[in-house]
Amino acid sequence: MSANPMLPYLGKLVETRDLAAAITLLRIELLNGGGEAFRTSQPGQFAFVSAFGLGEAPFGIANTPQRGTAVDFAVARLGSVTTGLHELGEGDMVGVRGPLGNWFPMDKFKGKSLVVLGGGIGGAPLRPVIQHVLDHRADYGRLTILWAARRPDLLVFTDEYDEWRAAPDTSLHLTVDTPDEAWKYDTGLITQLLERTAPLPENSVTITCGPPVMIYHTTNLLAKMGFPPEWNYVTLEARMHCGLGKCGRCNLGEKLVCVDGPVFNMEAVGDLLETYL
Amino acid sequence: MKKAKPEGERAKSVSDKRPVEYSQRWTISHKELETWLDGIAAARTLLAPRDVSGVTLYRPVANSAEIAPVFTRPLLSVKGVFFPPTERMFTIHKTGLEVQLEETFPEWETVVFGVRPCDARGARLLDAIFLNTNPVDAFYARRRENTTLIGLACKELGPTCFCTSVGGSPDDASGVDIMLYETEGGYLAQAVTEKGRYLIPGGEWKETDLAHQPSAAGSQYHVPEKDEWPGRFKDDYCAYVCPTCRCFVVRDEVLAPGEFERLRCWDSCMGENYRRVAGGHKPRFKRGERQRNRFFCKFYYFPEQYGLGAASACTGCGRCIEVCPVGVDVTEVLVDMEEQV
Ligand SMILES: Cc1cc2nc3c(=O)[nH]c(=O)nc-3n(C[C@H](O)[C@H](O)[C@H](O)COP(=O)(O)OP(=O)(O)OC[C@H]3O[C@@H](n4cnc5c(N)ncnc54)[C@H](O)[C@@H]3O)c2cc1C
Ligand code: SF4
Ligand code: SF4
Repeated sequence: MSANPMLPYLGKLVETRDLAAAITLLRIELLNGGGEAFRTSQPGQFAFVSAFGLGEAPFGIANTPQRGTAVDFAVARLGSVTTGLHELGEGDMVGVRGPLGNWFPMDKFKGKSLVVLGGGIGGAPLRPVIQHVLDHRADYGRLTILWAARRPDLLVFTDEYDEWRAAPDTSLHLTVDTPDEAWKYDTGLITQLLERTAPLPENSVTITCGPPVMIYHTTNLLAKMGFPPEWNYVTLEARMHCGLGKCGRCNLGEKLVCVDGPVFNMEAVGDLLETYL
Repeated sequence: MKKAKPEGERAKSVSDKRPVEYSQRWTISHKELETWLDGIAAARTLLAPRDVSGVTLYRPVANSAEIAPVFTRPLLSVKGVFFPPTERMFTIHKTGLEVQLEETFPEWETVVFGVRPCDARGARLLDAIFLNTNPVDAFYARRRENTTLIGLACKELGPTCFCTSVGGSPDDASGVDIMLYETEGGYLAQAVTEKGRYLIPGGEWKETDLAHQPSAAGSQYHVPEKDEWPGRFKDDYCAYVCPTCRCFVVRDEVLAPGEFERLRCWDSCMGENYRRVAGGHKPRFKRGERQRNRFFCKFYYFPEQYGLGAASACTGCGRCIEVCPVGVDVTEVLVDMEEQV
């Protein structure tokens, strides 16, 4: 990367696709050295994506570099930058700055069973975790995916569920708060689904990402179920403007989400989560 | 880009005090000081305390006559010299599907005269973030490198000053390049760094063995007296006047059709929307919680995040006390915090 870490790489949108209601997948081919930088990105890292003229915002990297040279982001349309990104089409240029932050220590997880809990757009940074496990299936134990959204049309990566379900020793459990007529899976909160699914805490690691309240309640329940805090991982988000530990905004107590995170285990942030809500 | 470690500590390497590199000293008269500053102002940008509608600020001066004759510390610190309220980081040119980014860096050389020890310390504290913790901030580094600080020791503490209570002192030379101490009829000048030595007119000044006698105020615990606080600003102003507050936002502005600039601008953690995220959720929303975060940042988070050890990120300049409209006093909070520990 250039000597100026605030300067993004240029990237060309090679694919845009609706993932869910108001959520778009952006597939970006990086130019001027960016491809090289992202070749070593790790599950859990993030990057800033620019809609030039509107600004930039942070997004979880949604694929592993082993799955292709382009970088994927799943972007929910919520405000000015995200709306700008939704309006772009194939061939348009964006800026990408990263990869930033720490990541899930996938090597440390080897030999363990994984419980992956994703809520809404929080599924985006979990997709590379799932891809990594599926691509190195023998290295890990059982993979249990609990996937939730407010409504069925807000579930992300639906076209990949068959691949996940078909993988050895892997199960996918879906729930929504408000079902529609066609819905044939669980209804209710992800915590209820977790109680019903009841994965075993022995030799397991959990990974949770979603809205703050979901993270708060899910990690509390996991602790009650006997999952030890040092093996309960979360990925957090906070408003941030640099991703480099400079702009000061994203602190959680003395921790900076951008450089000390976004990946934390509950041993490190358990006491601080109240201030996150 | 350098990768963060997946778990555990970040690399931190900051020492709060830098060693005084030089100790060569001169005695100079008022006239010699004026001639010297006039020479500097003619060759490069000279910033100095200056009266702007009744408020003292570091501003460009054309000659020494424009410098405020008597001042304690200016209302705004020297922070803005290295980290301006608004900085253009690059421009964006769009033509059809093509996009070009053009980096813009400040290149000019600046000398600041009359820097009070607390402000010099503030610059050292910002160094901990922008220079000494990876990645180095390209803009800050450029400005810092191109700036020479001429310090002026304080003879006494001003009404809201409490530098001596947070490890500083009115005659601390550790953050400037040249230090001036007022004497009978002139100044004792000391070169502190090589950069400072470079600015001193070689043969013209009279070298001396006299050393500055450390100020008696240096070790006193000082608490400002409340009655003298004017309190004239709005409720997130403390962050703007503080020499070590550095929160910023990044945003794009339109210059012309297809032409944009990416800016970063000062921001305040006391602002209501500081943490607002898309969708409207605002963690740390109440004023008390924001207040708590600001003080914890100064005395705990900042030192912890940037490896300052026991040092605090408050220089004791007392500006936030001076501008607070509701009389929030960092020294009272500090005493409370110490009692709670
Ligand atoms: C580490 C991290 C990973 C993220 N991953 C994803 C993802 O994979 N997919 C996704 O859709 N969203 C993700 N987000 C949230 C996303 O960054 C915000 O939705 C986005 O910033 C909103 O920008 P906006 O300009 O559209 O909103 P506006 O409301 O117009 O916001 C203005 C500015 O505020 C800041 N901001 C607002 N909300 C957030 C927020 N939640 N987090 C950080 N900054 C914010 C941004 O700088 C933004 O440009 C992530 C956030 C973080 C911190
Ligand atoms: S706080 Fe100390 S160094 Fe700063 S102006 Fe006051 S006396 Fe001088
Ligand atoms: S006294 Fe107030 S303005 Fe000055 S450094 Fe401390 S917190 Fe900042």
